[in-house]
Amino acid sequence: MSLATAIVDGHALLELVYVSLLAGVGVCVVYAVAVVGITRAQEARRASRHRSAALYALLAAVALGACGWAIVTGISIMATK
Amino acid sequence: MHSEPLLILVVATALAFDFTNGFHDTANVVATSMSTRALSPRVAVGIAAALNFAGAFISLKVAATIATGIVSTGAITLPIVFAGLIGACFWNLATWWFGLPSSSSHALIGGVVGSVLVAKGSHAVQFAGLLGKVIIPAFIAPVAAFAVAGLAIIFTYRLTARLRPGPAGRGFRLGQIFSGGMLSLAHGTNDAQKTMGVITLALVANGDISAHRVAVPDWVIVAAASAIALGTYAGGWRIIRTLGTRIIKMDPAQGFTAQSAGAAVVLAASHVGFPLSTTHVMAGGIIGAGAGKRLSAVRWGVAGNIAIAWLLTLPAAAAVGAATYAVTKAIGNGTLGPFVIAVIAIAAILAAMLRRARELQSEPATARR
Repeated sequence: MSLATAIVDGHALLELVYVSLLAGVGVCVVYAVAVVGITRAQEARRASRHRSAALYALLAAVALGACGWAIVTGISIMATK
Repeated sequence: MHSEPLLILVVATALAFDFTNGFHDTANVVATSMSTRALSPRVAVGIAAALNFAGAFISLKVAATIATGIVSTGAITLPIVFAGLIGACFWNLATWWFGLPSSSSHALIGGVVGSVLVAKGSHAVQFAGLLGKVIIPAFIAPVAAFAVAGLAIIFTYRLTARLRPGPAGRGFRLGQIFSGGMLSLAHGTNDAQKTMGVITLALVANGDISAHRVAVPDWVIVAAASAIALGTYAGGWRIIRTLGTRIIKMDPAQGFTAQSAGAAVVLAASHVGFPLSTTHVMAGGIIGAGAGKRLSAVRWGVAGNIAIAWLLTLPAAAAVGAATYAVTKAIGNGTLGPFVIAVIAIAAILAAMLRRARELQSEPATARR
């Protein structure tokens, strides 16, 4: 057990897995929400449902903002290493 | 041993390897963007080259692992580094020839380990470092990318299921410009550092840097970043075709999730200092994005061939590195052996390029890309 612990940095491996899962799945889900928001906002605007269009546009803006934040955070984490 | 001509030859070979790393691994970065028509081929490789260059300046943790964590720094000599690089270049070019996306990182590590084994014996190889920092992450990273891309595509399809395919596709194609950009940046961050690590090893071996305070010089960072960017711009179209169209038939959502998964895993690996293979990660992501849609969407035969190439990379590059070192020593001590090998290697590469150019001329234009 101690040999395995000495060879494999289990903490780093675990960090690799959970950071990848959180970042990868998180960014994809949030971006998909942005795509839904933009598409629905366009459809609502064409149907003259201005209130729905504004809400979907807001949803898309928040989601895109979150994606941008994730990208900037990723780069800044790398830059401080 | 202190030899400036030999050091120059080793640095040139390392930069040549970095170039092959760039054009071999271009596919990882641009294949999905091109396959879903998010970007035209030239724009895709242009962006990838620029971001690979930028990525090389972001972090040095992987370079430190390569320089100090795989083989004993004190046991390294210039002929050992040279032989290792020849082993890595050979494997990169062989897998490029057959259009197989194998790991440049593992080729490099395998080549150096093989030449060290022949030159200094097994005690000079840090097997714990090799296992813990290279081999185990090599198995975990593609599985992680597979899982991330698989989960991401399931959630993405659920969220966008009621959208018309046209607007949703356009949205994900636009997203691919950013996910592909992040992947290029991650690739530059992770892969250019491997060459930096090897050149740093050579500088230590030549006595230009102290083995006790290993630091990557600025000129090494600029040279490695430039070589990988130029290689990326040259592009490896055979491997692009394999990754972009032969594993799965990709839609824009799958392309976006595969690239995002790949970028997340490679950036996380650079963060913890594992010299991961971008190729393994990206192939894992593409297969995951395909399997997340349905298992039969993946051409498992192609995936199997890629897996076999992965398994062969370390031993094959090690064998060529070991053989190169043995031949170098047989020719004689000093600079003569590496120069003879370099001339033979350049002649072999030129012959392969000429043959490939003749093949391209005889192929119809549509079959090339």
